[in-house]
Amino acid sequence: MKQFLTKTQVDDLTKAAVVDFRRNKVRTVLTSLGIMIGVMSVVMLIALGLGLKNYLKQQFENLGANLILVLPGSGFSGSGGGSFGAGLVGGVSFDERDTNNLARIPNVKYTVPVYFSNTTVEADGEEMFAYIMGVNEEMFSLMNSEILEGEVFGKSEVAARAKVAVLGGRAAENLFDQPEDAVGKTIRFENQRFKVIGVLEKTGDREQDNSVTIPYKTTFGSINPDKTFWSIYLGVEADRDIEEVKAKAEEVLLKRYNEDDFSVTEQSELLSTFNQIFNIVNGVLVAIGSISLLVGGIGIMNIMYASVTERTKEVGIRRAVGATRKDILMQFLTESVLLSVFGGVLGLVLATIIVLIVRFFFPAAINFLAIVITLAISSGIGIFFGVFPARRAAKLPPIEAIRYE
Amino acid sequence: MISLSHVSKSYFLGEEEVKAVSDISIEIKQKEYLSILGTSGSGKSTLMYLIGLLETPTTGKITLDGKDVSKLSDDTLSSLRNRYIGFVFQSFNLINKFTVMENVLLPTRYVKKGLDFNPVSRTEDLLKRFGIWERRNFFPNKISGGQQQRVAIARALIMKPEIILADEPTGNLDTKTGDEILDILEDLNKDFGVTVILVTHEKVVADRTKRKIYIKDGALAKKYL
Ligand SMILES: Nc1ncnc2c1ncn2[C@@H]1O[C@H](COP(=O)(O)OP(=O)(O)O)[C@@H](O)[C@H]1O
Ligand SMILES: [Mg+2]
Repeated sequence: MKQFLTKTQVDDLTKAAVVDFRRNKVRTVLTSLGIMIGVMSVVMLIALGLGLKNYLKQQFENLGANLILVLPGSGFSGSGGGSFGAGLVGGVSFDERDTNNLARIPNVKYTVPVYFSNTTVEADGEEMFAYIMGVNEEMFSLMNSEILEGEVFGKSEVAARAKVAVLGGRAAENLFDQPEDAVGKTIRFENQRFKVIGVLEKTGDREQDNSVTIPYKTTFGSINPDKTFWSIYLGVEADRDIEEVKAKAEEVLLKRYNEDDFSVTEQSELLSTFNQIFNIVNGVLVAIGSISLLVGGIGIMNIMYASVTERTKEVGIRRAVGATRKDILMQFLTESVLLSVFGGVLGLVLATIIVLIVRFFFPAAINFLAIVITLAISSGIGIFFGVFPARRAAKLPPIEAIRYE
Repeated sequence: MISLSHVSKSYFLGEEEVKAVSDISIEIKQKEYLSILGTSGSGKSTLMYLIGLLETPTTGKITLDGKDVSKLSDDTLSSLRNRYIGFVFQSFNLINKFTVMENVLLPTRYVKKGLDFNPVSRTEDLLKRFGIWERRNFFPNKISGGQQQRVAIARALIMKPEIILADEPTGNLDTKTGDEILDILEDLNKDFGVTVILVTHEKVVADRTKRKIYIKDGALAKKYL
């Protein structure tokens, strides 16, 4: 079989098309604009989607591996029919009876009641918005917390309702110029004074890093008069215990609450649910972005049709001096593919720049696959939408083209 | 070399049939210098396109060196036009976005099997011979009509064709410039043995050639008008 196109022929076609573009700069850029915008939006949407995923993954990785979460509401797992936010707001509040009951389950190593709120915290004239976590001493072991300075509170401080606080890395930075200086200082919130006894290393998790952790019993005064908890964290000894502990925990809680009022999940389950949701969101975003690619492709087809009509005479001349139908077809096809790829590369470059800027605030990411796919799609668009006008050009009878004035 | 036997060409405008060429039989020999003379609309251009393999007959047979061209593929016909035939038109038909040089080189782009000459130096020779080498980087709309027609002739010659078909080559030129163009075409025939067919409606132009083909209403005629 004979080769479809030799390298020299491809070079010649490309050169000829580029010469044409140079002499028609404005039109070339305008034609590519549609593809450029399309590619830019698709790449950016993929990058943002990936970023969102990375962000969530990071958040979850900070939690210990063998962690079971007891949450109010029907949870995230979808099977309960609860909406996405339900797990965070609706449902019951837990209390000490629940923690005691749960702690008795075999193989439960840590039982941490979690009181959670947010408020303004001040120190040395500095103010910040922080998350208040009321927990017991087991929290630090469960979360594998690393101490930057000072120490964390223990069982006795919890029992004594001590007014002590452990600051997240970022909270310490915000309230005190040097996080190391925080230890021994006093902070105020909810009209109470707390002594900072320790500062934790930053983890990359926004909530943890901006948190003020205090003994849960200390909240039982004016901060948390109902003595309730938003959630209870359970730590188990080993992976294989997770399923059994989950079942037992549900059994225990069902004695007091309805099935819909709480949920028992493990973090990996949460992660996969989030992943599912974001894959869908991502798919929808990319589909929307693809519409602009399609519009860009139609733009190219439009211009190429106009170009064929405008160049009828040129086609006739080329045919008269020896161009075959295939030569003409390839000429126009090369142009539409180059226009499309030019737009694609431009869009990719712009998207990359934007993503690099966004990265300062958000872990957006461009992956290699996205680049390859984009280039493949834009040349595909060039071929698909270029073929129809190119075939029209190739089919022009040479004479009509020559007589055309 | 090229012979037409009972060739007709009809165009259809809706239902109506326009017979542009009707039952023409002629034979053109190698190194011939002849003219096709007829009034406007008589079918001269159509006949020339048939001879030049740009158009296929509705009925009749065209043979090239004994071969029936109706059996040839588009690729082969294109290649024959590229190798053996050069066209010169009344309205020059240069590509305006290309320079003089690029226009002359255009046919060499469509050579499929390799050239036996250096295209750039051959272009230089031709442009120098026609006195337009200094204009090689000009665009066609920046040079005079006479110069444009010289570029067109150079383009027609670049592939060393055996036959030049010139359709009213002086139609857009003043008499003096036109005569210069006709001189060039005549020299091509005399000095290089290229077959030249001159299509015209002007008797004075046709009078330059010994052999004349008269055409009227698409058919051969005994004499002009
Ligand atoms: N593509 C076409 N469609 C319809 N009629 C045509 C076409 N080309 C030429 N004709 C008609 O054929 C006749 C001969 O045209 P042409 O060969 O151009 O004559 P000439 O070159 O002698 O002026 C004219 O009547 C013209 O209108
Ligand atoms: Mg004519």
